Amino acid sequence: MTEKKISFKVLRYKPGAIDPPRYDTFQVTVGDRTTVLDVLEDVRVEQDSTLMYRHSCHHACCGTCAYKINGQEGLGCVTNVLELGTAEVVVEPMDGLSRIVDLVVDMTDFYRDFSPDWTYIRDSEWYPEAATPPEVDHYVRFENCIECGACVSACPVTAAGDFYMGPAALAAVNRELSKGNGNKSFLLDLAGSERGVWQCHSAFECSEVCPSDVNPAGLIMELRRRLIMQKVKSLFGMK
Amino acid sequence: MKNDFHVIVIGGGGTGAAVIHDLTQRGFKATLVERGELTSGTTGRHHGLLHSGGRYAVKDQESARECIHENYILRKIAPEALELNEGLFVAITDEDEAYSEQFLAGCEECGIETRVLTPKQTLELEPNLNPKLRLAVQIPDGTIDAWRLPLHFFATAKHRGADIRPYNEVIGFIKQGGVVSGVRVLNHRTQQEYDLKGDLVVNATGPWAQKVTTMAETKVPVQPSPGVMVAVRGRYHNMVLNRLNPSSDGDIIVPQRNLSVIGTSSWVVDDPDKLGVPEEHIQLMFKMGGMMVPTIEHAEFRAAWSAARPLIGAEEGEEDTGRELSRTFKCFDHKERNNVEGLVSIIGGKAMTLRGMAETTVDVVCKKFGLDIPCRTHEEVLLPYRAYYH
Repeated sequence: MTEKKISFKVLRYKPGAIDPPRYDTFQVTVGDRTTVLDVLEDVRVEQDSTLMYRHSCHHACCGTCAYKINGQEGLGCVTNVLELGTAEVVVEPMDGLSRIVDLVVDMTDFYRDFSPDWTYIRDSEWYPEAATPPEVDHYVRFENCIECGACVSACPVTAAGDFYMGPAALAAVNRELSKGNGNKSFLLDLAGSERGVWQCHSAFECSEVCPSDVNPAGLIMELRRRLIMQKVKSLFGMK
Repeated sequence: MKNDFHVIVIGGGGTGAAVIHDLTQRGFKATLVERGELTSGTTGRHHGLLHSGGRYAVKDQESARECIHENYILRKIAPEALELNEGLFVAITDEDEAYSEQFLAGCEECGIETRVLTPKQTLELEPNLNPKLRLAVQIPDGTIDAWRLPLHFFATAKHRGADIRPYNEVIGFIKQGGVVSGVRVLNHRTQQEYDLKGDLVVNATGPWAQKVTTMAETKVPVQPSPGVMVAVRGRYHNMVLNRLNPSSDGDIIVPQRNLSVIGTSSWVVDDPDKLGVPEEHIQLMFKMGGMMVPTIEHAEFRAAWSAARPLIGAEEGEEDTGRELSRTFKCFDHKERNNVEGLVSIIGGKAMTLRGMAETTVDVVCKKFGLDIPCRTHEEVLLPYRAYYH
């Protein structure tokens, strides 16, 4: 097993106490499987119990541990430290969301354009050929999107101001449309609104950083096609 | 409905979430403090199994009954946090097959519905299972989103006025003459300390329960018992798979989202902050998972982690590995236990029995205040988890 000494440079911020923010550097020893989140946990337990960061499931399902790692958004729990290949690792909070403490950002803004009622369950696409037991009509599963905020942080448009819904909420709108839930015209209006898909600059950063294969940029393009189709249909008097 | 009592809950895991929801529903003023992010201790890292109780039906029937009871309640009150795809107990060896008799009897005694399937029927349902399987038993298992289930409880409590404070760590108790009247808290955001006064403190810190009660100079018999889980990319089956055997290492695979999670192992530690993830346990998960689903043995690694169960420990002098300890839960009134008034601890239990643990705890709270307010959390559908942020 490889063991290596690494410097972890972490952005610290405590309103009124560490303010303005500063970087603290911690020396740590990592192994083959050590993740960025493992290091933050070790630092908190062994070196500085006041270091705050979000984390919960430790396997890329809850979406709480997204940080900027060496400048790029990623989940701490599945970012292998040695695979980063740098002797110093820089960990910072995500952009585009207000900072609460250290690496912790406020997710309230992230959910602003989400309806709490949009469903998180979808039909499963795995093994459609398999039989189902009598209790199950159709196998279901949770959405891929774990609502981590990485796409919002990486998006150059959300970085410029709060006039854009952002990639995560638009991807969710497209999922609701695809499921045939709720009010189709309401969802399309939302997608086509001033805060909607036409603000996107097609930078594709969101899909680049998504840790969960959601491809928000692709879904935004699909929403644009849906809106154009709706316009074409209404021009020809079709519903 | 409202009463004037203020209850402080320590610990923002699943138990704390359900306790503060139950407290606010029964009209208490409630404040919850958690040293880090919500569910950043044991809760978030659990296996994600909505137990039918089958795993405990032979040797731990009290837990099995709790599981099946709460299973059906969670289906009603938090459907968006569950993948309801049923589960199988799969017999691979002669020993497994022989065990099936005890297993079926145990399930029947605990009220867990079962359906016995032939190898052919089983492979039609799950084509990737080990083709050498002898038989399988279908039971009402499911998958839980470990973060979003507690968030449903937090959201509902918050909209009823609960004061939920992550990044606020309890560093001491306000205690005079054997009576606890609040906690001393360090706000990790501002680095300021403050006193939080309350009529009662509920310690819902799971495996950290002993660390917390030490600050109040009292004890609780919690035994932190970690287990390793491994997530691999892809789903190789739709139903939850359990090995049809007495509980052992790596005998459950829970499919969730676009992953499969294999677990778990079991040992005991003194300090729940220092678990580690032994490499040999990771390898064991791949090997044992592969016994049920051969492709899992070589599936792409996604993550490995440990979580500490908050088991009710053996009282002083007894040795154990954690495997033998019951998964049931217990609420301790420290007045009765160590003559410390104003403090109640809830330990043991499983992530999925959070609501039941809260019911028991808040029943104790009500009794201490001489109140007779019935629990209603089994019948109220929770708010969507996203409502926590709205």
